[in-house]
Amino acid sequence: MTHETDIIRQVLEGDIESFRLLLARYEKPVIRMIRNITYDRESYEDIAQDVFLTAYKKLASFDRARSSFSTWLFTIARNKSLNELKRKKPRPISEPPEKSNPHNPSDDMAKKEFYGRLDKTLQALPSRQRRAFVLAEFEKLSYAEIARIEGTRPGTIKSRINRAKMKLRTALEEFAGDVL
Amino acid sequence: MKIDEIYNAWKEQKSRIEVGKGFSDKVISRIHQYERQKRKPLFDSHRLIELISTRPLGKATVVTAGVLIGFVRMMLVVYAFWGC
Repeated sequence: MTHETDIIRQVLEGDIESFRLLLARYEKPVIRMIRNITYDRESYEDIAQDVFLTAYKKLASFDRARSSFSTWLFTIARNKSLNELKRKKPRPISEPPEKSNPHNPSDDMAKKEFYGRLDKTLQALPSRQRRAFVLAEFEKLSYAEIARIEGTRPGTIKSRINRAKMKLRTALEEFAGDVL
Repeated sequence: MKIDEIYNAWKEQKSRIEVGKGFSDKVISRIHQYERQKRKPLFDSHRLIELISTRPLGKATVVTAGVLIGFVRMMLVVYAFWGC
């Protein structure tokens, strides 16, 4: 596997096709992060395209002494997602689907209801908590990496994630109490 | 199903992602487009001539600029004579 530093050097020397290696490595995490932060099912891939184009344009300014490439790229993705959220009016959160068989939560419909409730709660979280949660739980980044992306301290990130988890758990328990 | 199981299954589901077909091709195509635009010279004389010759406003601008320059030159000549 080619080392990231070598790929970046090749791209900076004018080999645009080498950028495909970075795309192959990071397209899924970046797209997933944007989708889970913006909840925009229509344009999350467009935002991701902008992220990679911006990364290409600013590649010369990337300093690996300051951060890893993934942290740098996620910071761009975070900023683009925030801009998109500011640009777009908040959309109404969709209602959870109708309740089905409440006595058997293992069936598919009941599972969807639980997922719907968790989605709704995640979407309703304060933006900072949601970003920290998404980066930690779905992208598996460390507190230190998330803190660098968010421009804050790891302790702050830890408390944001804990608060987000608590809200999700409470919502899930309340919902389970309702249907069971 | 326990709460933890549901929560973990939900996380698993949220982590799955399908990237649209041709995503990387679209990005690379935009990069090539960006590079082409970057390489375009700031001042392109051929493009300027084309703009002037094909657009009425371009022609009018050139004529107006010519008249103004001619007028200023005439004024300078008159000023030079009268100034002496």
